[in-house]
Amino acid sequence: MEGCTILGALSVTTGVKDALSIVHGPNGCAHHNFSLLHATLATDTDSRFPHIVSTHLSEDDIIFGGEEALERAIREGLERDVGGIFILNTCIVDTIGDDTAAVCRKSWRVPVIYLPTAGFLGGGFSRGMLNALQTLAIHAKPREKVPRAVSLIGEKNLEYEVEENYTEISRLLESLGLHVYLRFVRDITIADLTEISRSGLNILREPELMPLGDLLRQRYGTPFVDRFPRGFIGTLTFLQDVARTLGIPCEDAVAYEMEHQTRVLAKFQDLEGIAVHLGRDTSNSFLREMVDLLGMFERNDGIHLPIPIPEPVGTGGVERLFHHWRRTICASL
Amino acid sequence: MTGAVSCLAGFADIGVVIHGSSGCYFYPASLLPNAVYGTHLLENDIIFGSEERLREVLEEVRTRYRVIAVVTTCVPSIVGEDLLAIRKNSADIIVEAPGFLGDFETGYQTALKALCPVVDPVREGINIDGLNPIDPYYLGNLRETERLLSLCGLFPATKFSADTYESVFHAAPYTLTTNPDLRSDIGNSLGSLLGLEGTKAGFVALSHHYPQVDINPVIEEINHAEERITLVCDKFLLRNDPPSVLIFSGAPYALFAARLLDRYLDADIIAIGSRTSSPSTPYPLSRMVTFEEIKECIQREQPDLVLGSSYEQSVCEDSAFVSFSFPMRGKILLRTRTIAGPEGTLSLLEEVLNSCMDRKKKVTQLGT
Repeated sequence: MEGCTILGALSVTTGVKDALSIVHGPNGCAHHNFSLLHATLATDTDSRFPHIVSTHLSEDDIIFGGEEALERAIREGLERDVGGIFILNTCIVDTIGDDTAAVCRKSWRVPVIYLPTAGFLGGGFSRGMLNALQTLAIHAKPREKVPRAVSLIGEKNLEYEVEENYTEISRLLESLGLHVYLRFVRDITIADLTEISRSGLNILREPELMPLGDLLRQRYGTPFVDRFPRGFIGTLTFLQDVARTLGIPCEDAVAYEMEHQTRVLAKFQDLEGIAVHLGRDTSNSFLREMVDLLGMFERNDGIHLPIPIPEPVGTGGVERLFHHWRRTICASL
Repeated sequence: MTGAVSCLAGFADIGVVIHGSSGCYFYPASLLPNAVYGTHLLENDIIFGSEERLREVLEEVRTRYRVIAVVTTCVPSIVGEDLLAIRKNSADIIVEAPGFLGDFETGYQTALKALCPVVDPVREGINIDGLNPIDPYYLGNLRETERLLSLCGLFPATKFSADTYESVFHAAPYTLTTNPDLRSDIGNSLGSLLGLEGTKAGFVALSHHYPQVDINPVIEEINHAEERITLVCDKFLLRNDPPSVLIFSGAPYALFAARLLDRYLDADIIAIGSRTSSPSTPYPLSRMVTFEEIKECIQREQPDLVLGSSYEQSVCEDSAFVSFSFPMRGKILLRTRTIAGPEGTLSLLEEVLNSCMDRKKKVTQLGT
């Protein structure tokens, strides 16, 4: 089950700090999404809130059309200090047939960008997220690359560990002498969107974003690595993939990471020899690698281990998973 | 829609099916402590009709519940599906609650009416209403009211909404409310249990109808609570100025807090941003439902203290803050919280005083 396209798209557009997202529909649609995004932001270290407003469609607007309400909301939005406005249709608006794109094409003081959403009529959460990323990706021009600059593409802003994953990727890139140039799209400005063409490498959050990776490669000539690293072996492979793509050496970084992984494993020696059960997901290569690394073994009556969704990122993510598993095991013994 | 779902989900033997997209389903489902179901409509369901999809879900869920309530969302409501035909001879309840028809309270009341509650003149006990499963005070208010009733040798009758479907048709003749915004208007109202005065008035009203009931244990507890409050508030005022306060919540909760802080701390209630409408009040209450209004109000007034939700918390940088209204995001909530009865009053004041004192310490430390 997926949420609707609105939430997927909003998870991207609210990552643009100086932009306002207008949800064209009844109050409830904006409120639901504001609340869910607020819930995620409230657990971060700062206390940001999503810049979302509603066009407040009433029963009369549904009957007679909501385009006037949309224009009113845009005008009110422009009274704020915003660098741009994103418009997201709800399912009810697509059902009644408002021409939202035409309203966006009018002459406005700042860019007013229509995103293809349409609630559940436009697909699911992932579709909304991908559509939004693709819409925002085409506002740049090919420019000179910044040396050793890497962009992260499509971080999942609703993911509980999004900042921890960013820290881990940054650490791994630094070990190769690289740095994160742009988080596309998280905590950036409207102006930053045009910087997407300047990184030498894009790292996609997950392979499902490959259409976007291809788009960025075609438009701006930027190669990509198709996922964040998973597992110990995957983390080493990630370092090698990044280095190979950019034509830089990685031997020292890989050697250092292997030593780091050995130190991490040493902390969990007490888990060796414990019988565990992975449920129905026994074919998952990541889980199998983790169990093998810890020297545990699978048995049907073993301690049932929680399966991480999504899978942890990098060595740091695996270390947190091991702590989680040890807590579960201790509670079961 | 969320209000309707919340109301219905409080009845353990009613299976609640949200007839709409997974996006519509996800929000109430993420807030409610018990399971609700959804038809998770896709585009084709709207083009070719969603009746079959609804039938499938109803068949899947039906065996687990005494009765099913279908709550419709925006698109199914306007495409004109004949849900009554789907219902046929079953006792399924249909609640039309598209978001564009109104706010949370409207949806809650619509659902309550759809249940067709009945007062049973011989039912013993006292009804409790205003209970809303997504309210952080839901369980706490229920337990506090039950506790107060038991002090008088009484017990609850129908609990709206924290009960069974059957109980809806056997409500007792009298009702105490924990949140007047969600009053059921079922049975004769004895008043609300917000605040010491309110609780006392409610139990005095109860004793007029049930003269044989001894309400003295409740009255004594209220008097004792008032003594304790007076003592600590007087002590607080020896070293502190009365706080200037902004309050954000539904009108009844907000007015309860305003009266409390005004009476015992001589607080300056600068403004109340109410999510719901209210009858006239001596306090500066206005309806504030957008985040921008709230943010602008807090930044303009720079109060000493803010009572509100995590929305308000995210924009009150220098004020003392008390988590008072829904939602309370970004923090762990494990214990039950009450706002009703003497325990509710004591809890709120405790949090207010501690928050004000913590702020003072913080300011002092920054000054040195």
